[in-house]
Amino acid sequence: MSEAVRRWLAGVITVALAAVVVAAMIIGEDTAQDRVLALGTRIKCPVCQGESIAESPSETSTAMLAVVAEKVAAGESDAQIIDYFTDRYGSGILLDPPFRGRTLALWLTPLLALAGGVALILGLRRRRVAPRAPVEPAGEER
Amino acid sequence: MIATVGFLGVVAAAVSSAALAVRGFHASAAGERDTSHWLRYPVLGLVVGAAVAMIALEAGLLADDFSIAYVANNSATTTPFLYKVASAWAALEGSLVLWGLVLALFVLSVWVGRARRGEDRLGAAALGFLGVVSLFVFVILATISNAFEVCTATYQGGIGCARSAALPWSASVAGVEGFGPNPLLQNHPLMALHPPTLYVGYVGLTVPFAFAMAALLRAESGDGWLRRTRSWTRIAWVFLTLGIVLGGLWSYEVLGWGGYWAWDPVENASFMPWLLATAFLHSAAVQLRRGVLQSWNFVLVIAAFALTILGTFLTRSGVIVSVHSFTQSAIGPALLWFLMIVLVGSLGLFAMRAHLVSSSPRLDSLFSREGAILVNNLLLALFAFVVILGTLYPLIVEAVSGDTVGVGRPFFDRVAVPLSFALILAMAVGPFVPYRAARPGVVWQRIRHPLRAGLVAAVAVVLLGRRNGWILLATFFAGFVVALAIRQLWVTARAAAAKAGGSIVVEAGRAMRRDPAYWGGQLSHMGVAFLALGIALSANSAVRGTVEMTPGDSASFAGHEVAYTAPFIRDLPNKTAFGATVEVRRGSELVAVLEPRLNQYASSRQTVASPAVDSGWRGDFYVALASWDEDGAIALDLYWFPWIWLVWAGAFTTAIGGAFAWLMRRRNAAPRPAPQEAVGV
Repeated sequence: MSEAVRRWLAGVITVALAAVVVAAMIIGEDTAQDRVLALGTRIKCPVCQGESIAESPSETSTAMLAVVAEKVAAGESDAQIIDYFTDRYGSGILLDPPFRGRTLALWLTPLLALAGGVALILGLRRRRVAPRAPVEPAGEER
Repeated sequence: MIATVGFLGVVAAAVSSAALAVRGFHASAAGERDTSHWLRYPVLGLVVGAAVAMIALEAGLLADDFSIAYVANNSATTTPFLYKVASAWAALEGSLVLWGLVLALFVLSVWVGRARRGEDRLGAAALGFLGVVSLFVFVILATISNAFEVCTATYQGGIGCARSAALPWSASVAGVEGFGPNPLLQNHPLMALHPPTLYVGYVGLTVPFAFAMAALLRAESGDGWLRRTRSWTRIAWVFLTLGIVLGGLWSYEVLGWGGYWAWDPVENASFMPWLLATAFLHSAAVQLRRGVLQSWNFVLVIAAFALTILGTFLTRSGVIVSVHSFTQSAIGPALLWFLMIVLVGSLGLFAMRAHLVSSSPRLDSLFSREGAILVNNLLLALFAFVVILGTLYPLIVEAVSGDTVGVGRPFFDRVAVPLSFALILAMAVGPFVPYRAARPGVVWQRIRHPLRAGLVAAVAVVLLGRRNGWILLATFFAGFVVALAIRQLWVTARAAAAKAGGSIVVEAGRAMRRDPAYWGGQLSHMGVAFLALGIALSANSAVRGTVEMTPGDSASFAGHEVAYTAPFIRDLPNKTAFGATVEVRRGSELVAVLEPRLNQYASSRQTVASPAVDSGWRGDFYVALASWDEDGAIALDLYWFPWIWLVWAGAFTTAIGGAFAWLMRRRNAAPRPAPQEAVGV
């Protein structure tokens, strides 16, 4: 086999492998059974110390998780179920802060920090002294 | 008597700390040729005092000396030996005694290392700063958080201790029985191992801080302080990593829902400094190799230490409720003041000296090793920032507006997952990008085969029937990272073997010994990749179920048959265990007989679950008792965690990589000119 053919073949194989993985990711897995638990991890157990109702073994949590399961079975949406609990217990019951109101800043600050950090690194590069010719170590030296 | 001895130990340590601070700074300024004898007595006084305090506390616990308030409230005659020992760090005051001892032992190590060097002004100044920190710890121990207070009044029936007096030689009352440790803390032997390991890491970060401050004080720039700081950071980092993993293991074995990480404030308190220490270990390599980032390195070391104080404040002052938090105490304000002093003092000193120690930022190209490490540092610092923010946010909102908001696991998970994968990408490719400016062709040549290996691994997982995106991504990276390291080792060894004519295996071992920092790093990177895979698997493919059973019932769950044979009650000296015997079968093969229990401790009405786990390479079958009735009816929480051992194996490998770099480092590392040195990350 000539070098060109071998390279071409290797490229095709790489792309094919990547395509299989990406296709599998897009199809994804069926996670319907976990909706109750997923909602449970977003709701704080009111009698525990920072645990969610999905994690805590306490009676209160078990009862609350049963309510979640009932509502999921009744076909209510995630938002409806979360609203049900925030109406009763206040917004402090959520472990999952919403992207609005008092917790909007919580989500935005990290994004601002990221932007600041990126700007800083880019600035570091621009301030460089006269660019030197890149020195590549020979061969495989790191 | 024991209390008096222990208290005198604390006082001796406090006085020695003060002497160490004064003598250390003086020796640094005076600069005698041989100053080691100047510091001998303060160092020995500190170590002996701290050791006496710890031994006295253990003696009090083991001898059931209930005239000591701490013993009466945290131990009992029926507490087993191991948990009596561990009770020493099961509550606030005792854990500070351990803290003081660990700090004293670090001081001793620094002093021993420094005595070998002859004139060492930097080391003397660092010992001075260590003296200041240990003075704070021992003054707290002698005043507001005194582990050796004596009991002046017991509760009804001579149990526990209701009132206590500060001075251990005042008249005391000894009860007949103590309360015993918190039930959660006497439920698993890891309680004896996890806190001390974590403390070594946590307290160990004081040493890098002391060296950084010493370098600032003496306006020393360059590699000297950095090498020593890096080496101490690495030691602390290894123990911090191990401590965090052991904590996860403890939580998995004890808390009864199969979780190992909950973004609990105390977990966050250990994780934040870990992130910054990790960032520093990387950026220090850039400074050693390229002479840049010096100011940033100072900031990282100072911030990592400040976060250990902040973490201690958050979890020991009662401002945050968590599984780990101890009762409210007066130590909160003291820690907050200390944090302020540390921040103002260190940042003030930094601002005064910054122009002397800062290096000119010269980055030829972002597509280079230093570029990759900058990205890694940005991500790690951002990660630490997000964890701090999420931990403090509810406090801030409550202080400002009085509203309560909850920030928990869903928030942290949502931010941590993308950050972690970005970090893993930088971690995978970074070490194979040359310094200064890389040509894409060179990098591509190094990564193309490993890239295919990663893809093959992911395709294999698809063929096994998994299509979850996170699992596939994590599998890809695990294969990619391992193949990259193996390829690099192979290529390096083959070139060396061709030159020297030896065998490739021998040359591979030699190559690893020649640059332990680089290859230890590679080992840690592999560990992180496996850890990520283990986390992705446990988060996305665990199976959970609850069954209610009576004796003789069986149920099928996740490919297993679970048969409930009989309930049992076992009376042990310190607890009563209500349990169920459960047989687990796969097909016709009996895999395990498990005995999940609910433990009722004498000291508490609350029962504590004690789950039973059958571990195998395929996964863990995890059974927790949710309820137990006298007529034999039980409810079982069943979990199947496939490949969960990857989490532990990955995390321990990460720590082992650090230990490799630490233990294999070249002795007698005399300063050499930076450009010639092969420093890897």
